[in-house]
Amino acid sequence: MPFATPHYIFSLILYLFYDTIYQKGILLINLDKKALKRESIILASLKLFSSNGFHKTTIPDIAKQLNMSVGNLYNYFKSKDILAKELLKYTSETVGAEIRKVNALDTSTEKKIKMIVELYFSMAKERPEMIEYFLRVYLSYRDVFKDGCEGMLCVSGFVTEIMIFFDNGVECGELRDQDFFSAFGLFMGYLGGMVFLKGEEILPNELEAYIDDISYNIYNALKR
Amino acid sequence: MKKLKLLWLQSLTCNGNSHSFFNHPDLFAILSKFELIYFPLIDTKYSLEDILHKQLECDILIIEGSIKKGLIKNGVDYSKLIENYAQEAKHIITAGTCATFGGVFKEYDPERISGFCFDKERVKENFNSYKDKLISLPGCPIHPKWLSYVLQMLGSGNTIPIDKLNRPQELYNITVHTGCSRNEYFEWKIDTKGFGHKEGCSFYEHGCQGPYSRGSCNKILWNDTSSKTIVGTPCFGCTEPTFPKERLFFTKTNMGIPATMPLEVSKRAYLTITGIAKSFTIKRLERNIIDYDS
Amino acid sequence: MIVKKLIEKIEGEAELEFSFKSGKIDDVDIKFDLYRGIEEILKGKAPRDALVITPRVCGICNHAHLIASVRALESGFRDAGFTFELSKKAKDIREFTLSCELVQNHIKWLYLTIFPQLNRVLKSDPDDNYALKASYIANTVTKAIAIFAGQWPHSSYAVPGGVTCDPTYIDIISAQNLIDEAIRFTQKVLIGMDLDEYLSIESLSQLKTLGGDFGKLLFTLEDNQLAKIGKSYDRFIVLGESAFFKSAKSIATTTSTIDQRFVKELEQTGTKAKAALYKNRFYEVGPMARAIINKEPIIMSLRKRYRDSLITRIYARVHEVAILLNYTKGLLQNLDITQESCTLKSKATPSDFSGVGTVEAARGSLIHRVKVKESIISKYEIITPTQWNLSNSVEEKRGVAANAMIGLESDELASFVFKSFDVCSVCTTH
Repeated sequence: MPFATPHYIFSLILYLFYDTIYQKGILLINLDKKALKRESIILASLKLFSSNGFHKTTIPDIAKQLNMSVGNLYNYFKSKDILAKELLKYTSETVGAEIRKVNALDTSTEKKIKMIVELYFSMAKERPEMIEYFLRVYLSYRDVFKDGCEGMLCVSGFVTEIMIFFDNGVECGELRDQDFFSAFGLFMGYLGGMVFLKGEEILPNELEAYIDDISYNIYNALKR
Repeated sequence: MKKLKLLWLQSLTCNGNSHSFFNHPDLFAILSKFELIYFPLIDTKYSLEDILHKQLECDILIIEGSIKKGLIKNGVDYSKLIENYAQEAKHIITAGTCATFGGVFKEYDPERISGFCFDKERVKENFNSYKDKLISLPGCPIHPKWLSYVLQMLGSGNTIPIDKLNRPQELYNITVHTGCSRNEYFEWKIDTKGFGHKEGCSFYEHGCQGPYSRGSCNKILWNDTSSKTIVGTPCFGCTEPTFPKERLFFTKTNMGIPATMPLEVSKRAYLTITGIAKSFTIKRLERNIIDYDS
Repeated sequence: MIVKKLIEKIEGEAELEFSFKSGKIDDVDIKFDLYRGIEEILKGKAPRDALVITPRVCGICNHAHLIASVRALESGFRDAGFTFELSKKAKDIREFTLSCELVQNHIKWLYLTIFPQLNRVLKSDPDDNYALKASYIANTVTKAIAIFAGQWPHSSYAVPGGVTCDPTYIDIISAQNLIDEAIRFTQKVLIGMDLDEYLSIESLSQLKTLGGDFGKLLFTLEDNQLAKIGKSYDRFIVLGESAFFKSAKSIATTTSTIDQRFVKELEQTGTKAKAALYKNRFYEVGPMARAIINKEPIIMSLRKRYRDSLITRIYARVHEVAILLNYTKGLLQNLDITQESCTLKSKATPSDFSGVGTVEAARGSLIHRVKVKESIISKYEIITPTQWNLSNSVEEKRGVAANAMIGLESDELASFVFKSFDVCSVCTTH
């Protein structure tokens, strides 16, 4: 089964979806107060971890940002390590929810590929600082994630939706049946690579300029 | 109480259901509760000529084999012969997948060959006339104890709870997966490493259809002893209207994701649970159960 | 005068049409009118699907079809360049389950077909619960099959490279107990003497000590002048090989090697069954053929006195129960469960190959031939034992069973001879 997923792939992908997470956080006004508070902690810590670094950011820093007491924050997350893992889960689930919307659409796989590319690039553009969190926290402090985030425990929300996307594509005859990782690597590695090039300021144009060609390339590489 | 008259008719068949029933350890105790009009393996009161040419009385009609329009066997039109007896019988049991859905032999002439009241999952015209007295017992072959359960329920005047395809719920509302000795390997997603190992699950590697095939093969063991999945053979879904599918030793996958899910389990639910289970290494389940060198 | 008779309580049914001349059978037509098209069904399927489909040829010898099928695939894999050897364990387990199937088959034939027919011939009432005996022993040995094969009928546990099961000592012990029980039944009920003592019988004079149902049957045949009827060509062939059975043909006292390429199937008029011939001649297959080629002393003695008559044919079939039970006991004793069950690790399949699998089934030699093109079965051919024994006349030559019925005075007697071949209509009309 294609599940022993290397973490670095996700790190390149997940940070790009911050914007959605952020917006969703704001829109969650009707949620009960406690859940809302929990979410606001996640969003604030995500920002602080990415900009100031994991070790440099303390629980009191986060509490201060949110105008809450340190004791109260510990009621939500018992430690910084737990918070870091919850953040990963939260991100994955939120991103998964976005792809799930694409999966639910009654449209061709070719169009869905373009939608995912658009989704991805727009997030990369809106919240570039997200890479900092994944590179500096998730990838650098692997010991923080080794207990409780084994394999794809904390990223299954995202991976499951990508699997369903591929499965649907093959089932309806649009995509060629192949190994999961050969397809996953092509799709996500390509997008991650483009964002990386953009981050390194190598790309001459904005990411949006490449959406049509990249979608075309991905579709042609994966189609039956 | 008057014993019910039991008549067993064979259409297009391999005799496998007759032989399977003959394996029943309590065969004669069960048969003694009925008046046996005809059974293909045992000397009975009436000859086949009697059955074919006189309309004998029968209470329970057991049909074995696929139905073929206009099948002439032993000089008689069997599709008509079976209909004639079916009209008079108080109960009809389609014994086996052939008689129930069409089975293997349907593939030779799919237009003309089917089950008695079903054509694969499709309901045939005659279903309405028989639906109140029909019991479907798919399985290739039938399990002897599934049949004896039905016979004895009917013999004692009990009502058998059935599903929409007239299958007894007690036998078919669980899957072949229920009770399989490899269940732990399925739960923790440890796939078999090839044929010939008592360890590992066949669902992902060998096309095992147990999780989505209805039947009690692993609850009521075969020959009171074992089952396909216990001995490392995949379940081929032989109780299902779709039997036989193609490429029976292979799991159909789409980019590595199983195409058919456990019964009524959504793909999302399955993939989520699988991903989580795969994240852990259960050392006990990675080892051989028995270490013969120690 | 023409007499038509519907033969039932064999595997399926057959129609016999006897021509009587001066009170004796002068000609006989054998008809099987069921056709299920298994060979056609297999076309276009994945090669391994044959392991699931072919057992469905027959409810009583399904296991023989499985083994023939897996051998055909294995021979094809080798033909396409795959190199693998089966472990001794896998070979022995296959031999064990196949032998058990032969035993249940012979026992069912004896108690469900032969004894009731003998009663009919002698116009006597059935004086025993034959079916109960058949059921008890068939049950016991099929349970032993299920320990390894998962179930009987319709297992698919033999796969290219070995078997799917991985038995433990508990399994072996359970199987041993079942075989011991079958042997106990054989001693107490079937032969009325110790198995070892029985197996040492070599001469006809020793047969007097035989008891049980088998003894009773032989004496009844002898007393009613039935022993010598049913002679045919006295020509035998065995095509399947195992650690136990040897492949060869026997004409008169000469045994010689054979080449499968000379096996031909021929269409016949008025029946759905095809005839099987070797170099254009009919040969008898089955337990009598196997015993003669193996030079089993007691069968050689019987043949010397009675030739290939009813009594030799019946004796050989029942005798096989005893020798196979003894053989299976030895197989279990020597089974090394630490060996690999399946040596072909991958499910890789050559895309183009052709293979032949031959097996000695209860009724005789069974052949499966498979051709695979572009990974799907393009041709599948099944030649069953009954096609050898129960053909009609081909090119003026009478089939083996037909020949054995000529000259008999009644259709009931002829039916008895016919049934002594252990007829499988379902196999024949695959």
